[in-house]
Amino acid sequence: MATASSLDEGLLRRIDELQLSERLFRLKDAMFSAGRKISVDRARLAMRSWMESEGEDIEIRRAKLFKDILEGVPIAIYDFDMIVGRETEHLVGAPVFVDQTGDVIPGLWEESDTPDNRGLFGALSKEEREVLRECSRFFAGKTAPDHVKKAWHSLVGTWAQDITDAKGSDPTPDSGYFPGITCRGMWEKILARGMRGLIEEAEAGIRRFKEMKEIDINKFYFWQSAIMVCQAMIDYARRYAALAYEMAEKESDVQRKNELLEIARVCEWVPENPARTFHEAIQCINFILVGRGLEAMYPILLGRLDQYLWPYFEQDVLNGSLTLERAAELLGSAITLWGMKTVLQVGTTQQETHQFSYSINSINLGGVDKNGNDASNELSYLILHMIGLLRMSSPTVVLNWHPQTPRQLLLKALETNYKTKGGIPLFENSDHVVESFISDGIPPEEAREWYSQGCVTPILPTRIDHNGSEGKGAINVAFILDLTLHRGVSQITGKKIGLDVGDPRDFKTFEDLYEAFKKQYRYVVNRVLWLGTVAQSIEPQHLRFPFNSCIAGPGCMEKGQDILITDANHSYGISDRAIVDTADSLMAIKKLVFDEQKLTMDELLHALATNFAGEGGEEIRQMCLAAPKYGNDIEEVDLMVREVGEFSASVIRSYQNPYNVPCKISREGLSWHYFGGLGVGALPNGRKAKEPLNDGSLSPMRGMDKHGPTAVLRSALRAGFKESYASCLNQKFSSSLMRSPESREKLATLIETFFKNGGQHIQFNMVDTQELLDAKAHPEKHRDLVVRVGGFSAYFVMLSPEIQDDIIYRSEFGC
Amino acid sequence: MLGLVTNIQGYSVHDGPGIRTVVFMKGCPLECHWCSNPECISPHPELGFIKSLCTRCGKCAAACPHEAIIGKAGALPLTIREKCTGCGACAAVCISEARIIYGKQLAVDEVVDAVCRDQIFYQASGGGITVSGGEPLHQAPFVVELLRKCRQAAIHTCIETSGFASASALRQVLANTDYLLFDLKHLDSIKHRQYTGKSNRQILDNARLVAASGVDVLFRMPLIPGINDCRSNIEETAGLLHALGKGKIELMPYHLFGKGKYESLDRVYRLAGISTPGEEHLLPVKKMFEDFGIECSISN
Repeated sequence: MATASSLDEGLLRRIDELQLSERLFRLKDAMFSAGRKISVDRARLAMRSWMESEGEDIEIRRAKLFKDILEGVPIAIYDFDMIVGRETEHLVGAPVFVDQTGDVIPGLWEESDTPDNRGLFGALSKEEREVLRECSRFFAGKTAPDHVKKAWHSLVGTWAQDITDAKGSDPTPDSGYFPGITCRGMWEKILARGMRGLIEEAEAGIRRFKEMKEIDINKFYFWQSAIMVCQAMIDYARRYAALAYEMAEKESDVQRKNELLEIARVCEWVPENPARTFHEAIQCINFILVGRGLEAMYPILLGRLDQYLWPYFEQDVLNGSLTLERAAELLGSAITLWGMKTVLQVGTTQQETHQFSYSINSINLGGVDKNGNDASNELSYLILHMIGLLRMSSPTVVLNWHPQTPRQLLLKALETNYKTKGGIPLFENSDHVVESFISDGIPPEEAREWYSQGCVTPILPTRIDHNGSEGKGAINVAFILDLTLHRGVSQITGKKIGLDVGDPRDFKTFEDLYEAFKKQYRYVVNRVLWLGTVAQSIEPQHLRFPFNSCIAGPGCMEKGQDILITDANHSYGISDRAIVDTADSLMAIKKLVFDEQKLTMDELLHALATNFAGEGGEEIRQMCLAAPKYGNDIEEVDLMVREVGEFSASVIRSYQNPYNVPCKISREGLSWHYFGGLGVGALPNGRKAKEPLNDGSLSPMRGMDKHGPTAVLRSALRAGFKESYASCLNQKFSSSLMRSPESREKLATLIETFFKNGGQHIQFNMVDTQELLDAKAHPEKHRDLVVRVGGFSAYFVMLSPEIQDDIIYRSEFGC
Repeated sequence: MLGLVTNIQGYSVHDGPGIRTVVFMKGCPLECHWCSNPECISPHPELGFIKSLCTRCGKCAAACPHEAIIGKAGALPLTIREKCTGCGACAAVCISEARIIYGKQLAVDEVVDAVCRDQIFYQASGGGITVSGGEPLHQAPFVVELLRKCRQAAIHTCIETSGFASASALRQVLANTDYLLFDLKHLDSIKHRQYTGKSNRQILDNARLVAASGVDVLFRMPLIPGINDCRSNIEETAGLLHALGKGKIELMPYHLFGKGKYESLDRVYRLAGISTPGEEHLLPVKKMFEDFGIECSISN
């Protein structure tokens, strides 16, 4: 791998000078202008397939379903395409996954044809809507979430639904990211061997079965399915090859004709065979991602793109068989396709980012190789440059920082931040992640291969990670404090979800209150984790992912076992969220009620119950706001954050799955703070009921960081969060702190200093408030303005007004 | 020893090398029309009132011991500035923080403690403390002590000054300063008096003193369209720099960020009508300096 000293400076200069080509401009413009559309083809094909395969083995049925979809979905090649393959016939389309989520499509059953708030179903024809309704009717009660919910109900009555309604945990089986398995493609293997290589592996398995060296019929079914899905992928690519030949035939423009012939040749070769060129490698990856996106809607993870693509880049570009401009165009085309991949989010998450959202999807750059040496190369710079030119908010890009990361790469990453105006890439401390894995018994050389799931949660290419509700998901810590203050009753839904841990008015000391919180916490966490374990054992009875097992399940092919069937190679991620809100609130109670006795518990509880609206309520709220807040380098409250974090971790880590793998804690943010806040009543930190919680896991309460970014960083360092694999600290900066190279040098130093002292993650929102306000008033002028919400990037104009206001409100440093 | 400080601002990246903490001192003998920190001019604590935040609760009027506020619940309060002592009684009861007090008496050690907290960032970036204001030399004994203690803590020291101070105050501060940002506002003494309230004679003398002292200095010029951007002033400024043996200047384009603070002080903003100069305005001035043989940069 290239090290800082061996970088080709001339090539880097040429990368810096690259402009957006006309083709890329047209591709991006067309995709941005197209609008996102629902496609019903996948649902229709899935239903028909499922009807026909009734009675067969579940693995075989899912393989047939995959094959039927890939054979049946319409395909298209647009005149600016060099990399081909989209999940639907639309430029930007979202397939529907009723076979996995059941009957939970919002608005589907409304009879009126008037467009809903974002025109989601309004754009569909009556016939298309009827297709979706028929599919929903057909799959209702048959899907894995349906079965899980039924089991939960038999175990705990309405409790699982009650805590879901109260936003106490996330995601839920309905959210569409269920099951929440996240693995990146095994790209090195796929590129080196092609689908043909995978088929050969499966055939070898079947031979072993026939020779009676394997006796488990389930393995036989798996290998049969593997052959079926890999062949389906090959055939799907051939459909594109045929279409490209057909279009070339009719094409009068000689240049485009040649391009179409090239596309056809590439699609005939990959993904069946090993990629031989940079072009083939990128096309192969795109096909696999399309296949993956048609099988399941959970995140598609690109992982360390600058590593596995490097050999092809080096071979073609450094040796001159491919021009840099051409390589940039291929890469830019693919990044645009990957960034615009869209899913229809259903159920609980719709309010945060509306019903369409970009697939959670991430690229990691830089980092270290197996031996701990810097792994960045010229391709790392090219990827950053292209994302800057394209101003894409998705995929998420993570710079894996480590002490040997070249300053030059950090500066390039900050330049990309400035260009995207949206904190792309975000920065994550690789050393901390590697140490976390090592402390859980992972060998260092394996740990160094980590990459991010969607935003900041680190996972390994060698393990299968569960992060959905069956992987236990996320816990709303502030919600549990809310329960503690109200004898186990949710302030929003009025339902009793927690224990009655006593009337807070009877607590004599702060310690009494804190003990009650701990008791409540253990109770709720135990139930959430228990129900997660139940879900995990039910789910593979009703759902399998043969294609994902082949391309993203380490060990699946060897074992003849689907990715959903758990064993010791699976790990489980938990995110305990809103710790800062909880700690700030505990600190306010400690100060106001116990230490300084400015308020009685009764007065405080009354103010909370009335949402600070009653007599004297606002005054009490101001006292609550004036209590010490995390993010200002105040030792006692920073240590409270640390205490709550360590306590929460100790509870979660005390649970292990049946294979003795402890739960992995990772405190990412996404835009959950808005959604999670909807379930939490007024809090003693001064936050009103249903308002957003703090964004990210280590960001201060909004508007409450009064001493600038360095004070925030010092607080974050003191709070530690060492027990978590990752945390999330969002900082909004005026773009003036990014504009000049000198400012970027200083920001680079800020990041380095933070990380060298133990910081885990930082990302910057670099937008001027004025621009945000203008974007809110005139969205048409700011269509590609990128902002970050938690660990998640979004186009500002596509966010709901509440989240827009939230971003505008965030304290703005340096202005 | 106590000093009157309006603000301590971390992660300042435009006020000297590296990542810095800027300490804003309150009190300045000049009254430049373009001043963007008008709350730093008076050498006494001062009331600021941010109208848009006021909830019209009327508590401030009741709390004022000097009968300086006319107001009742439901009405926007009116402050009689002549009676206001800046005691802060009204700010203490103002829950929406519409009423604030500019300026707080702080001990040297309190300021040093706040500054030292960012030591890890200074070390990594070559940054440190910048004392600004207001005019830091106006509270020279405090600033000397502050800079001396920062130096003891191995923190790089810098001041931003108008140069309007006695030579002895300047000498004492210089002895504890690693880097100076020195403003040259106008070389024409009459214009200088017109727009800042004071002659530039002492400032120019002090510029010579600084240049001869050997302390690292960067001369800067706030660029105010129509006031100091004429050719003759540029030429004279360049001439002075040549005479001082300094070949460099930094332009600070005029901006309006401070305008809201004038309103909060019930003061009239005297430069209404002048807008922030854009590149088309700045680049010709830069070129003029360069034509006179002076290297010229434009600050962010």
